[in-house]
Amino acid sequence: MRETIQIIDTQIGEPVDAEIFDEVALAHFIETQAEWRPVVLAAARALSQQPNQGLLIPRHFHWDWTRKEAELKLLAVRFYGLACEGKLQGIMKVETVVHSCRLPEQQGKPLVYIDYIESAPWNIKKLMAALGQPQRFRAVGTRLFEAAVLQSQEEGFRGRLGLHSLPGSEGFYINECGMTPVGRDPHKQNLLWCEFTPEQAERYLAGE
Amino acid sequence: MNPKRTMTLNLTDQEMSVLDQLSVQKDLSKTALIRQALRLYQLVDARITRGEKLFFEDQDKQKAELMVL
Repeated sequence: MRETIQIIDTQIGEPVDAEIFDEVALAHFIETQAEWRPVVLAAARALSQQPNQGLLIPRHFHWDWTRKEAELKLLAVRFYGLACEGKLQGIMKVETVVHSCRLPEQQGKPLVYIDYIESAPWNIKKLMAALGQPQRFRAVGTRLFEAAVLQSQEEGFRGRLGLHSLPGSEGFYINECGMTPVGRDPHKQNLLWCEFTPEQAERYLAGE
Repeated sequence: MNPKRTMTLNLTDQEMSVLDQLSVQKDLSKTALIRQALRLYQLVDARITRGEKLFFEDQDKQKAELMVL
């Protein structure tokens, strides 16, 4: 799968073409380590000088995509990459069998689970602000999220989708995406489990 | 969407009955259900091959190891 989508170039304030694909390989994981981590580290150093920034940074430190190499062969796992200007701008891992729906009206039914979604650090406004630079692209995470919803429909899951939201993203998933906050998960660092029903997924894709 | 290939699947009446029942229960087509089963089998097999164990836990928190062939 490889499709042209659009993200926002913040330098010109307009949409530009990008590619979203699921033929993610080890080279892409290495790219995140080589290209992304130094920027994250520099931003983390700058942010550590500022108060109340602890929630954002640690999540970007510990996730090492290269450790996911063995999962590239698993049918239950799918990785998506988003590239623009010859560089990886975002990456996402989804699973289709480990988790199932928790909302009472669809409990036990299969869903696409977003295990991790990450934008390149230069696309994260707070990180770049810490370095005194502008954010490069917007809507990278949104395009990856849409790909997960579309996969759920293609799989026959009717758009059912679930994820554990990081504290800083809860507002985005609930208010902007329209997901239902189901409850905190004590087995997953007490993160908030959010879920899409088929109707919510339809509304999201329709832009409502 | 990735290209797909077609195959014929021969099932007994009982197997087909279970497939029908699970398809309704999970709100999936039969094809999607079998695809899920294959993914799960591969995932479990890969983890057991690398030395992990699979357990079920009952309501009393008693664990029972599940053998997978």
